[in-house]
Amino acid sequence: MKKTTLVGLIALGSLSMIGTASANDAVCGLNNGQAASGEPIKVGAIYGNAAPGDFSAATDAANAYFKCVNENGGIHGRPIQYLVENDQWNPELAAQAAAKLVKDEAVVAMVGNSSFVEMSVNAPMYAENGIMAMASGCAVSECFESSNIVSTNQGPLASSVGAAMYAVEELGATNISCIGMAIPSVGNWSCGAVQSYMESKGLNASYVLLNPAAPDVNSALLEAIASGADSILVNLPAGLAIAFLSVAEEQDLGDAYSWTSSTPLYDASVPKTLGEYWSGKMFVSAELTTIDGAGADNQNWLRVMDAYADPADPRDTFAQAGYLSARYFVKTMNEMNPVNVDNRALVTAAIQAIKGYDSDLMCGPYYVGRADRHMPNHAGIIVEVRDEAFHVVRDCFEYEGPYFEPILDAEKTLGLR
Amino acid sequence: MQITQIMQMTKSAKIGLLFALLAFTFLPVLAGGQWIKIFISTGCFILAASGVAFMYARLGMVSLGQVALMGIGGWVMLRMNHAFDLPFEINLAVAGAVTLVFGWLLAMPALKMRGLYLALITLMAAGGLEVIFSTYRFPNGGEGFWGVMPSVAAPFRRPLVATDDADYLRYIIFAIVVGFLIIELHMRAAPGRAWAMIRRSEAAAYASGVNVVYYKAWAFGLAGFLAGTSGGLLAGGLGLLDPATFRASESIMLFALMVVGGSRGWLGVVIAGVLYRVVPALFNDWTIDADIALVIFGAALLHAIITAPNGLSGQLIDLFGKVGKRT
Amino acid sequence: MAQRTLTLFIVTALMLGTCTYLAWGKPSSVVGLFVVSGLAVGSLYSLGGIGLVVLFRATGVLNLSNGAIGALGVMLAWQLQQWNFPQIATWVIGIATTTLLALVYGRLIAPGLAWRDPVVKAVATLGFALIVLGITAFAWEDDVRKFALPSDKISYTLLGLRITLTRLIVILAAIAIVIAVWLYLSKTRTGLNMRALADNRDISALIGIPIVKTETIAWGISGLIAGFTGLMFGDLVRLEPFVITFMVIPAISAAICGQLRNLGVVLIAGLCIGVIESMLTLHPVLKSVRPMAPFVIAIIVLMWVQRGRTNYFAGN
Repeated sequence: MKKTTLVGLIALGSLSMIGTASANDAVCGLNNGQAASGEPIKVGAIYGNAAPGDFSAATDAANAYFKCVNENGGIHGRPIQYLVENDQWNPELAAQAAAKLVKDEAVVAMVGNSSFVEMSVNAPMYAENGIMAMASGCAVSECFESSNIVSTNQGPLASSVGAAMYAVEELGATNISCIGMAIPSVGNWSCGAVQSYMESKGLNASYVLLNPAAPDVNSALLEAIASGADSILVNLPAGLAIAFLSVAEEQDLGDAYSWTSSTPLYDASVPKTLGEYWSGKMFVSAELTTIDGAGADNQNWLRVMDAYADPADPRDTFAQAGYLSARYFVKTMNEMNPVNVDNRALVTAAIQAIKGYDSDLMCGPYYVGRADRHMPNHAGIIVEVRDEAFHVVRDCFEYEGPYFEPILDAEKTLGLR
Repeated sequence: MQITQIMQMTKSAKIGLLFALLAFTFLPVLAGGQWIKIFISTGCFILAASGVAFMYARLGMVSLGQVALMGIGGWVMLRMNHAFDLPFEINLAVAGAVTLVFGWLLAMPALKMRGLYLALITLMAAGGLEVIFSTYRFPNGGEGFWGVMPSVAAPFRRPLVATDDADYLRYIIFAIVVGFLIIELHMRAAPGRAWAMIRRSEAAAYASGVNVVYYKAWAFGLAGFLAGTSGGLLAGGLGLLDPATFRASESIMLFALMVVGGSRGWLGVVIAGVLYRVVPALFNDWTIDADIALVIFGAALLHAIITAPNGLSGQLIDLFGKVGKRT
Repeated sequence: MAQRTLTLFIVTALMLGTCTYLAWGKPSSVVGLFVVSGLAVGSLYSLGGIGLVVLFRATGVLNLSNGAIGALGVMLAWQLQQWNFPQIATWVIGIATTTLLALVYGRLIAPGLAWRDPVVKAVATLGFALIVLGITAFAWEDDVRKFALPSDKISYTLLGLRITLTRLIVILAAIAIVIAVWLYLSKTRTGLNMRALADNRDISALIGIPIVKTETIAWGISGLIAGFTGLMFGDLVRLEPFVITFMVIPAISAAICGQLRNLGVVLIAGLCIGVIESMLTLHPVLKSVRPMAPFVIAIIVLMWVQRGRTNYFAGN
């Protein structure tokens, strides 16, 4: 095991210390210190918050950024009215929310969407109504493989491939068992991509799918062992992943395999929850920069959160993604002709024209383009769980594998490569 | 029995038809995009609840698997839509027919059981179906038998007369009225009389020459047909379906709300549908925390079950009865 | 008796047959792992099923809120652990809370439904489950948590699989509860009253059995079991209120196998379900629908038990 770089030390418990910079330093939109006035521009968002999960971090962060923008010149002087709806993981509520925002409220765009169900339900409706969704929390394949949704996060596929690459290149894995959820557009899709990455390198991989309703994760672990793998890639929601790692700990397999995980385990409470046993054994693929990243934009995000968000709002990867979507949206709108910002078709065209926006939050450039799939974020970092904290062990690297080839080709056409 | 007797309208039926006519005319006009969607879902569950209600009120049989059966109807509907180029109505009929057969399957254990055991066996079936739905998902235009692909769903063809949401809501209201009339016709003809006897005593029904097996299976088939049709209509509302809608706990919930609404007559079923879909949507619209909404909902459910043995519809009818007498 | 022995023999043979079919051609060391793993999961079904049956026998209420109150209990215990309470205090307070909640329902709400249809009684407990679940989910926002017991650190090896002491406790507790309840029902006055109540409520009331007192005790016991079950589910399944709450549905299947009456059968049925579910992992197609095992087995058992009835005289 070799650690390439140790870029930063993430002490998540001391976040309050990081946020000591003056709130007035937050840079938003036109940044002219003038309160926006006039008729508001309506922007929508749908997030999911009900047991068993809360995805509201992205819209909270986007809301904080929009508040900051409204105090700093708005969009050509006009304020943003941010209308946020909760789909409660219920497809019917998701469709109702979209009908309310897109049809009844006539929002010009959706910004900061994060949900498990919203995108698969509403993607056709967004396309039909010619509206773009600049999402921040995509979790299912439909979200990445649709014409009118583009997300700042990576989702399970890209992040799993990143974890697999680290396992192969740094941990010496030759046969990976990917543990995914038994949902075609999540588990099969993302573990399938891991498999094709491994095959493209002449290595082996298999996958074990776990039914989220099942109380038994033991059998999945046994199945992974029986596959003959030498490395296990945990690609599950955090709660299920913790349960899976608990039974692995019960069997004392921490040293028998190398362990990697996709992004859900990159959560502030994870290192402490996993405990001493997993210290130095678990490597997690993170989609954006670390929470305390020293980059100017990340620091600005933290300042915006401190000044405009509720202290209880999470400061996590989703919040970073929400901030980023909101910032890029405002930038695009301010570059438009002021008379056009109420015209949904033109706003959509402007968003589709986004090309090569940069931020230290994301490893690669952000772009949209007209395509039937969007995945601008496909490079990431790897963090290690050690001593009840995360430590960066590999800085930004590009993901490889057959899945990304068409995306890379599209980037070449756009002149980004 | 004379045809005129079968066609005779009770007071409740007249009010019901008037109510449906008003809803048909004004609801789609007055409601916005969001509320039309809410009423579409509500309508589908009203139709499904009517199946549970008549089984409970007329035969004393409890089905805790109705929402799961809706899932089967929805699955067949989507499967047909993506596999063939047939019109909506034919797909809907196939969805209803296939679910009817599943209703018969459920009737097999029901021939020997009633009460809690029957309820639990339907719940077990719902639990099993939940696993199947969550593992294989619903067809969205992919290849193969299960028809699932990992990208955005292929388009769904709605009925030619109702391609937009407002017309589709009218279509559903029409379907509900037809569903209720089918149940009412059964009540007034031979099956209704047989069911009434079976409810009192199966032995007596058998002794007086009623084919118990036949009529019980018929009842399950009818409830299954209503579930399948409503599932198909729900699929048409969104163009796709998600397994979360058809969890076993949802089937228990629909039955619970039917008890709250009242199982006799159309009003109770309409109340059940409204409680099931409109109330949660209202809570969400008022941005009440989803967890708190759950507490309010649970408390109201408990309160209504305890205080209104005949359901809220029974209370409402009593109330109007009293007011009517006073004036 | 001969009939029962035959039934037991057939069930055992079917179970072994199914397992042999699934395990055919696999090395015995692998099969052993799955069997032990299945027993560990099955004991959870047993425990959940036993909690349901104990209450049902005495009061006629199938309590769907067992999972929800157990979830509240374990979340509370977890919270107290975070606040550095002594370990034992966290368990005691957690279980005491679930007992109290069961008693609240049993004393205040259940009597209002005493004469209703058993299904309506069961459905009403769903209302209570939603209230408790809503409060729990509101108090503990979604986060990554893990509930650990000291017994997790001690483990034994059985057929190549390591089994923690916690899992052994679950199996032993399930057996102990079955024996304790059997002794209680057959040797004590209250136990006799409970059996009478279960047989016929109206007549019990007429002959002067103290219904309220007897039922209160039954609710208290079921609350205790639910609290213990909640702690075990929180440790061994997942510390997520939603997951623990709805574990009650597969637990019902174990209860059904014992016809909501026979605790011994519930125990064995739970274990069998666990083993078959675990062994299904070895089947290439069925492994993806493994969680169906409890439901399918319950349906088969129920149909089998009812096979003797003629179609026309269906009863409860």
